[in-house]
Amino acid sequence: MSHILDDMVLLYHRSSGQTHMVISPVPEILETLEDGQPASARDVLQRLLRRYDLGPADAALPEVAAQLTNLAALGLIRTA
Amino acid sequence: MKHRITLRIGPATFRMGSAWPGPIRSLERLYADYPAPADGIADFTVRLEPVSLLRRWLRPSIFITGDHGLADAAPMSLAHGLLAAEMGMNLQMALGWRRHLLLHASSVEKDGRVLVMTGESGSGKSTLAAQLGERGWRLMGDEFALLDLETGTVLPFPRLVSLKNRAIDVIVAEVPAARMGPLLAGTAKGDIRHLAPRADAVARMDEGAPPALLLFPRFGHAPAIRPVGQGETFMRLTQASTNYVALGEPGFAALTRFVTQVPALAMDFPSGEEAIAMVERLWEQQR
Repeated sequence: MSHILDDMVLLYHRSSGQTHMVISPVPEILETLEDGQPASARDVLQRLLRRYDLGPADAALPEVAAQLTNLAALGLIRTA
Repeated sequence: MKHRITLRIGPATFRMGSAWPGPIRSLERLYADYPAPADGIADFTVRLEPVSLLRRWLRPSIFITGDHGLADAAPMSLAHGLLAAEMGMNLQMALGWRRHLLLHASSVEKDGRVLVMTGESGSGKSTLAAQLGERGWRLMGDEFALLDLETGTVLPFPRLVSLKNRAIDVIVAEVPAARMGPLLAGTAKGDIRHLAPRADAVARMDEGAPPALLLFPRFGHAPAIRPVGQGETFMRLTQASTNYVALGEPGFAALTRFVTQVPALAMDFPSGEEAIAMVERLWEQQR
């Protein structure tokens, strides 16, 4: 469950009862995973590139991978 | 317990028991205008007990207990019995209430809309609410604002207002003595004196109203007003709520609605008079 405020996005994580306050690019990354299907960091990057200008893909890929690691550590996504 | 009283404050009913008559007598006097509980069923029990059998008479020390307790609560002097009773009620509410989202905030109402003020102890939120309550606003509470989970309405919880140190003289100057409690000197928070809300505010303690403005007051600074973003407001209100986590998703929904709908401002002020003028101006601008 998410809620957009003027300067950030709130995520209520039902299974842990925790509230997360996140800013870009976390909401955008989570949006690419909304279908619930497994995706690699490269898949996520490809989906992001369709909508956003992230500069050179080689530089963006480690950033996306690091964000995914953090999200997995928070329990917001699962590693397949 | 030997000495007892049951009090209803807004939606909550407290059964208070004490080993000594003094604290109950103070409560009887200051809560005299409050309506009696409807069915005699209390939400919470608060007990003021001697630390040990002997300490009931010898340098009497109060231990606060009840449905919800804090293991490390320090015993208090019997001279501060009224404070112990009030703290006991706060504690039960903070730890046990689940029917509303509890915000550690004062609230006052005018024109059917509520001004909510939150901040640390010493921010001036209690004193400002007490002063506004004597100047045409309805005092809804100085400690907890109760946010209705369904409607977003703010409900009153008009307990006694706890005035500390310099705030005591400010209020004593404008309120009849019958509404003031005894001076409790040298408590852990300094000198404390309680103020009973006006009878008309007490009579309307079941009447909520929608929130219109949230202020973060800060006493002791040059006058300044700045808008507070929704993210910062949300974060500060989760910290100011004692039951946000316990309420789960309904709490999340209620708080996000509040933060999205209610404008939030930080207000620095150097004196009570200045603060009242600033609040009145802001209120006019929000109309």
